[in-house]
Amino acid sequence: MRSLEDCNPIAAAVYFLAVTGIAMFSMNPCLLFISLCGALLYFLVRNRSRGAVTHLWMLGLFLVLFLVNPLFSHNGATVLFILNNNPVTLEAAVYGAAAAVMVLAVLYWFRSFTQIMTSDKLLYIFGGLSPKTALVLSMGLRYVPLFSRQAAKIRHSQTALGLYKDDNLIDRFRSGVRIFSVLVTWALENGITTADSMAARGYGSGRRSRYTIFRFDGADAFLLAVTLVLFGSTAVSVGSGALLFTYYPSIQPPAVTPLAVSGCVSYGLLALVPTILEAEEKIRWTCLKLKI
Amino acid sequence: MDLLEVENLTFTYPLCASPAVRDVSFSLKEGGFTVLCGPTGSGKSTLMRLMKRELVPLGEKSGRVLFRGTETEELPASDSARLVGFVAQNPEQQIVTDKVWHELAFGLENLGVPQPVIARRVAEMAEYFEIESWFEKSVAELSGGQKQLLNLAAVMAMDPSLLILDEPTSQLDPIAASEFITTLKKLNDDFSLTVLIAEHRLEELIPICDRLLVMDGGALIADGEPGKVIRELDGQEELMLAMPASARLFRMLGAGGECPLTVREGRRWMAERYGIKIRSLPDEPHQNSGTKDVPALSFKNVRFRYERDLPDVLRGLSLTVYENEILCVLGGNGSGKTTALGCAAGILKPYAGEIRVFGKRLKEYKNQSLYKDCLALLPQDVQTVFLRNTVREELEDAGADPAELPFDLSALYDKHPYDCSGGEQQLVALAKVLAAHPRLLLMDEPTKGLDAGKKRDIAAILGKLKASGITVLIVTHDVEFAAATADRCAMFFRGSVISAEEPRVFFSENRFYTTAAGRISKGVYDRIVTVEDLAALCRMNRLEDGGAPC
Repeated sequence: MRSLEDCNPIAAAVYFLAVTGIAMFSMNPCLLFISLCGALLYFLVRNRSRGAVTHLWMLGLFLVLFLVNPLFSHNGATVLFILNNNPVTLEAAVYGAAAAVMVLAVLYWFRSFTQIMTSDKLLYIFGGLSPKTALVLSMGLRYVPLFSRQAAKIRHSQTALGLYKDDNLIDRFRSGVRIFSVLVTWALENGITTADSMAARGYGSGRRSRYTIFRFDGADAFLLAVTLVLFGSTAVSVGSGALLFTYYPSIQPPAVTPLAVSGCVSYGLLALVPTILEAEEKIRWTCLKLKI
Repeated sequence: MDLLEVENLTFTYPLCASPAVRDVSFSLKEGGFTVLCGPTGSGKSTLMRLMKRELVPLGEKSGRVLFRGTETEELPASDSARLVGFVAQNPEQQIVTDKVWHELAFGLENLGVPQPVIARRVAEMAEYFEIESWFEKSVAELSGGQKQLLNLAAVMAMDPSLLILDEPTSQLDPIAASEFITTLKKLNDDFSLTVLIAEHRLEELIPICDRLLVMDGGALIADGEPGKVIRELDGQEELMLAMPASARLFRMLGAGGECPLTVREGRRWMAERYGIKIRSLPDEPHQNSGTKDVPALSFKNVRFRYERDLPDVLRGLSLTVYENEILCVLGGNGSGKTTALGCAAGILKPYAGEIRVFGKRLKEYKNQSLYKDCLALLPQDVQTVFLRNTVREELEDAGADPAELPFDLSALYDKHPYDCSGGEQQLVALAKVLAAHPRLLLMDEPTKGLDAGKKRDIAAILGKLKASGITVLIVTHDVEFAAATADRCAMFFRGSVISAEEPRVFFSENRFYTTAAGRISKGVYDRIVTVEDLAALCRMNRLEDGGAPC
C-alpha cells in the first residue's frame, strides 16, 4: 500500500468526502470524537511538530464555539446556573462541545486535504469531465499567478518612475486602476503569442486526448473498496437511527445495540485508514532500509 | 527532393505599400543547420511564419512553400502541426499549461494521441532534455532558460522533421543561450533534424551552422557557407557587428585567407599574419580622473532575502558608484544583480546594511522625493513602463520634453508602445524614465533582445547622458556591451561584488569572463577588450610589409 498522498487523487478525494461527510451529518458525540482523533492523529503524523500555530488557532476556535452555544441557547432541562437572568443549561453546554468537536474535526481533515490535494490533483479529478475542461483549468492555474506577478512588476516599475505623486490613498487608488488597465493590455497582447504557440502545436486540429501522470492500480482500488465498505456500514447505522443522540430537552444517548457498535467500530477504522497507511509505509521503509 | 522549398515568395501586410518579403527562393535539405540573419525589420520573422502554416499572417501572398513536395496549405492539419516545429522568442508566453509534464504532452494531446503513447514520448523527452528533476514542477518555478528548453522539448515531443526558431535565445542570459544552442546542435547531429534559426547573437551559432542566409529589406541577399558569405558580404556594417569576433577581425583587416569563425581559428589566423613586436596599445589617459571621489550611490554591507526562511540573495554587498561614471555590474543569473538594483531604488527593503544615494540614506527620502530629480530605474521588462495607447501619450503622461532627449523618437509618436521593436521600446521607456530628470540612472539589462546595431545606439546614448552629468549603474550579462560602454566594470557573485575595475584591466585579468577579442588575444597582446582595439594593434604588427597602420 502507499500513503494517501501517493494514491490516485480520485481514491483520496472519495476518502475525504466519506470521512468528513459522516462527521458533518451525525451529531453523535462518539462518532465526532473518533473523527477528531483520527483527523488530529493523521495531521500530527504528517506534520509532526510543525503546525503549532494551527493547533493554537484550533484550540481558540474550540473554546469560542464551546462557550457560545450555552450563552445564547437556553434550551434544555438541567439548569446549571443563571447568568444575567438567563439560564445556562447542561444540554446546551454538551451540544456546544459536540458542535465544536465537529467543526474542529472537519477543519483538521480539510487541513490534510489541502496539503495532499495539490492543484494538479484537483485538475485531474475535474478534468476527467472532458479534455477541454482540463486544459481550461490548467491554463487558469497558470495565468492567475502569472498576472499577479506581472501586476507586482508593473507596480514596482511605476513606483521607480515616480508615478505616485504622493503617499496618499487617492493617488494609490488611481494608480491601481491604471495598473489594472495596463495589465489587461499586456495580457491581450501577450495572449497572441500563447495562441500562436497553441496553434503551432496543433490545437484545434481534431479531437484532443488527455495525458495524466496519475495511475489507478490495485492499491487504489483496494483503498476505494475499503473506504466504501466502511462508509456504507457507518452510514447504515447512522441512517437507521441506531446512533441518534438526543440533546434536547434532556440528554438521551442511544441504546447500545449491535448496529450502534458496528457503526462506531467501522467509523473508527475509517478514520484511522490514512494514519495506518502512513505508518505501514514508514515501517516497511525502515525494514527495507535495514537490508541496504 | 528537398525537405522544404520556397519559390518566389512575396508577402505584403494589409495597408502596407511595400512587401515585407519579396521574391524569396531557397530550399532546405534534410539535416541542414541554417542560420537566417539580417537587421531588425528585414522580414526574417515574416518569412519564418510563412513557412509554418498555422502562423501565416494575414496579407497578400504570392509564390509557393512546399514541404516534401506538397504545398503547406494542402498538408493535413495534424501533419502540418506535427512535422514543422516552431519555437518563438518569448519563453514565458509560449507556455500554455501550468505543469512541466502537461506542457510536454500538450501537442500530442491536441493530435489525439492515445495516453500510453504520450506517456512514452513524454518520458523520452524528459530524459533527453534532462528535465526529469523538474518534471513535476510548476512552470512558474522555472528560470528563463529552463522555460525555453521546455518549449523546445514540447515541440520535439511531436517529432517534427523541420524545426524553425525565431530568435529563441534573445531573452536568455549568455549561459542559458549557449546551453540552448548546444542542445540544438545535438538534436541536429543525433536525429538529422533540419534546423532553421533566426538570431541576432551569432557568435556561437555561426561556427556550428552549415549555411547562412542573409536578408535585408525583405529580400534574400546572401546564401551559402558562413565563411564565404561573411567574406563576400558588403555594405552590411550593422550586421557585421553581430558576427563572431574572429570574423569581424578578418573583415576589418582584410588580410586574406579562409575566414576564421571560432576563437581558435581566429588565434591561428592572427598568429600566421601578425607579429608581436608591439604588445599593447598606447595608454589613453583615464577619462574619469577628476570626479572619482564623490559617491553617487553606495551600498554598505547590505543584506537582503525575499522571505524570512529563504537564503540571502545579497550577502553583505558593498559597492560604491561615483558621480558621473558608468558602472557595469556583470554576473550570472540569480547572482542577485536585479535585487541589488531593486534595493537601490527603494522598492525592496534590505534587512541589514545601509544604502546612501547622494550621501543621504534611502530612508531620509520621504514622500517619493527619491524619484524626483534624483534616481530612476529602467526595469528589465520595459513593457511594465507603458501605460498608454501611443508613444506620444506616453511621453506626455510622463511629462517628457522630446527636445531634451538625446535621441529622436518622432517617427514612433503614433505607434502603440507594444508595436515598437525591442530597441524602440527600450528608447521610449528610457525617455519616460529621463522625464523625471534623474541624476542617477539604474538600468537592468538594457541590451536584452537587441541586435548589435541597437546596442551600439544605446551605448552612444549612454555616452551622451554621461556627458550631461548623469551617473549610470547598469547590470548586464552582456560582456561585449559592458566592455564598450563602462568606465568601470564589477563582477557580481553570490550576492556581493568581487572586483570593480576599469574595463581594460577587468577583462584582461579575467580568464573566462571576458570578451571574444580578449580571448583571441590572450597571451599574445595585452589589455585588449574590443575587436576594434585588436584590429588596430594587429595593423601595427603587420608582418609582410611592416607598413604603417592605416
